[in-house]
Amino acid sequence: MAAETNAAPTGTPTTATPAAAATPAKPQAPAAAGEEPKLTPAQLKAKAKAEKAARRAQVKDARTAAATVPAPQQAGPDAKGPKGKGKPDGQPGQNKGPRPSMSGPRPIIEKDPRSTIPDLFSHVPMAKRVPLSQAHKDVHPAVLAAGQQMAAFNIKDSIARLEATLLAFAKVIEEYETPKGNSLSRHLIPHVLNPQIEYLTECRPMCFAMGNAIRLLKARINHIDINAPEKEAKEELLEWIGILINERIKLAEFVIARNAAEVIKDGATVVTYGRHRLVEKTVLKAKESGKSFNVTVIDDPFEGGGQELAKTLMEAGIPVLYSPNLGGLRPKVAAASNVFIGGEAIFANGSLNAASGTADVAMAAQRTGVEVIVLCETINFDRERVSVDSLTYNEIDPERSTTESFRLLFDNTQDNYIAGVVTEFESGGGNSPAQAILALLRKQEDPLIA
Amino acid sequence: MAPSHAGYAPSLDKLVKSLKGNSLEQSIESLIFLLKRRQVSGDDCAVVTAHILLQVVARSKWSDVDQLLGRIQNAGARLARAAPHEPVIGNIVRRVLGLIRDEASEDRNADDLGSETASEIQSLAPSNPPPAQPQRPPPVPILTRSTTISGGLPVSKSMFNLLSVASAGDSPMTGASTPVSQAQGASVHSLRSEVIDGIEEIMDEIQQADDQIASFADIQIHPGEFILAYQPTKTVERFLVKAASKRKFTVLIASIAPPQPGATEAPYAALRKKLNAHGVTTINLASNGLMAYIPRVNKVIFGAKAVYQNGGLLVDSGACIAAEAAREFLKPVIVLSPIYKFCPEDPSDEAVIGELGNPSTFVSYASGPQVEELEVENTVTDYIPPALVDVYITNLGPQTRHHFASILADHYKVEDIGYSLHDGEV
Repeated sequence: MAAETNAAPTGTPTTATPAAAATPAKPQAPAAAGEEPKLTPAQLKAKAKAEKAARRAQVKDARTAAATVPAPQQAGPDAKGPKGKGKPDGQPGQNKGPRPSMSGPRPIIEKDPRSTIPDLFSHVPMAKRVPLSQAHKDVHPAVLAAGQQMAAFNIKDSIARLEATLLAFAKVIEEYETPKGNSLSRHLIPHVLNPQIEYLTECRPMCFAMGNAIRLLKARINHIDINAPEKEAKEELLEWIGILINERIKLAEFVIARNAAEVIKDGATVVTYGRHRLVEKTVLKAKESGKSFNVTVIDDPFEGGGQELAKTLMEAGIPVLYSPNLGGLRPKVAAASNVFIGGEAIFANGSLNAASGTADVAMAAQRTGVEVIVLCETINFDRERVSVDSLTYNEIDPERSTTESFRLLFDNTQDNYIAGVVTEFESGGGNSPAQAILALLRKQEDPLIA
Repeated sequence: MAPSHAGYAPSLDKLVKSLKGNSLEQSIESLIFLLKRRQVSGDDCAVVTAHILLQVVARSKWSDVDQLLGRIQNAGARLARAAPHEPVIGNIVRRVLGLIRDEASEDRNADDLGSETASEIQSLAPSNPPPAQPQRPPPVPILTRSTTISGGLPVSKSMFNLLSVASAGDSPMTGASTPVSQAQGASVHSLRSEVIDGIEEIMDEIQQADDQIASFADIQIHPGEFILAYQPTKTVERFLVKAASKRKFTVLIASIAPPQPGATEAPYAALRKKLNAHGVTTINLASNGLMAYIPRVNKVIFGAKAVYQNGGLLVDSGACIAAEAAREFLKPVIVLSPIYKFCPEDPSDEAVIGELGNPSTFVSYASGPQVEELEVENTVTDYIPPALVDVYITNLGPQTRHHFASILADHYKVEDIGYSLHDGEV
């Protein structure tokens, strides 16, 4: 499908998704000591260097040759590079060796993928593959890699994207050297970070968690004393990023799973929609604690993640009823004790941004009198923006939006369908409305982090 | 299954033709077979049922009205039992039963007027003049009411027999062994041809229904609107195309499942082509959830498999999602359903829960443990509660559920409403 709209780096994304998404996420786990993680970053660094060299040489090449043709030709194969993140085969591709096989017609057909988007959705942003050659020269290789993965939807979950962004930014900060006559706190953001952010946004519209984290990071940088020595400042920032990852991602996931698992009662029937990391963790946690219950996994046939979830749960010994689509939604939901839903973001008005179809499940649940419980890390809460319909903040699915079809990635569930939100902030859980958590966040967040 | 599909699932025309060629019993059996395998489904069921019943009337042996009713009930019950998921079969059977009762009572009324003698009542001889003129397939309600009340046929018939025919020996009711008098033969003959005409009219009605429904399209669809068509059926397609010939609007087409991997054509390519030819934009939504799109949509349109007397609908699975989402945003839900899909009964519990379909397309047999343990429920029909539907557009015009009672009274006899799959001989 994507082959029409994009250049060379297609094919793999769908199959490689779980593996690729997992690899970059895991190594950073002991992030308190954060900056010297184990395997991947080392490789990544090496690769990044090679990449950088290649890119420079390529740019030079392009300039001297004055012919514009070779540049995009190179870009095609190069774009593959970052996708093989952590895999050895990424390496040889980086050498800017001659590539006779690619000398056919231009591999990149610049057909605007947006041209097929119907008019009434034309305001909705869409992820796009930015050829590496077109990226801003200041974009750090680690960020390039992260951006490419996000554009290819190898990293798609908001938290995974946040983590990848933070890790990449840690790399950027690590390698950053303040030019003479500048201070880190004044130079880093406008001259180094902003191009990275722009690039990431270009690859795929930023998720709300990324927006929040970047806002906090900037505040943090601005907070650094102008006269602080560079080394100290960098260490402080890297430590802060480590803490953020630890507290708002790792710990949050653990606490949410633990709290939400308490909501699941013995003999309950839990309904979930699609596949969300937090729901999966929660259900497994509840199973671990010895409860016996059933899970109904309702899947989105266009996405298909639910089947993986069903498999995982089945292997854990949980009786699973799998519904491949939203058919018969009402009776299925009506038979449930709770509906658990993973959130992508929560807006200031308490409405939930989540995988497309969630709103339909939540509405069916509310109309049949079943409680909908949303699991969401507080970093996903947006305290400024409000959304009352699904077309305000959304994204077009680049893979499934062609001339033949159209798909939005998310939809908007109004807060009156949500019985409670489980975040890492409260103990117990399952019955705090989103508004309460927003209020708490407003009070707590900035002094806590900054 | 797959290869047999090509070989054994005949097109509707072929099927109907084969019904005429085979013996009656053979064609009923083969149709039951096809129904059970769901190779005949949806609107085709109505047509095929009508054809079979026509064959029953034309070719089976019966010597009086009761026998005919019995034959129809029997054949109808067998068909309906073969496809309990197609309530439309029962509807057609009821329509035919009602038709027979009408014809018979008209005959008798004519007799009552025409002659006083008991022997002539029994013979039903002068039945030729009256049936020539009335024979209205959907009879006027008042008339229907009066006839059904005044003479539930089996009762009155047997009473006639009690009074008049006792002397003549065996009542015709008791068995086929009764020697059929010439006069009786003539009455059977005329009744037969009248009933056949009536069934043909029902078939015409079925055939014309889509066009009649489509004629209301431009009233419902306005220029510049966004219409969400959920899994457009033939009826909906015709409706949209008709509207497209007069207006410019946008159609969003949603369906429950993504196209099969091997599919050569995008879903609804033919419909989209037709609509695009009229300058109507079409968008295929690759999504099950519809809440995201509903704010932009002006109306939701889909076809029903059946409409129950409470106004609830039996629909393709997923349509309920469209209806629920539309209700949330207060967008009108327009249901297209010909009158023959209106059932004089309430939805069964099975219908409310939804019918389960083949799960093998979703979980492949290659993944062994899943086939073993995973419970897969692929629901293929939804029940939509009446509160979610705004308008029903029928071949008799737009209806609301508040008038269903009179519509149903127009089309079905009270005696037949109780008719269900369990009636009739096995």
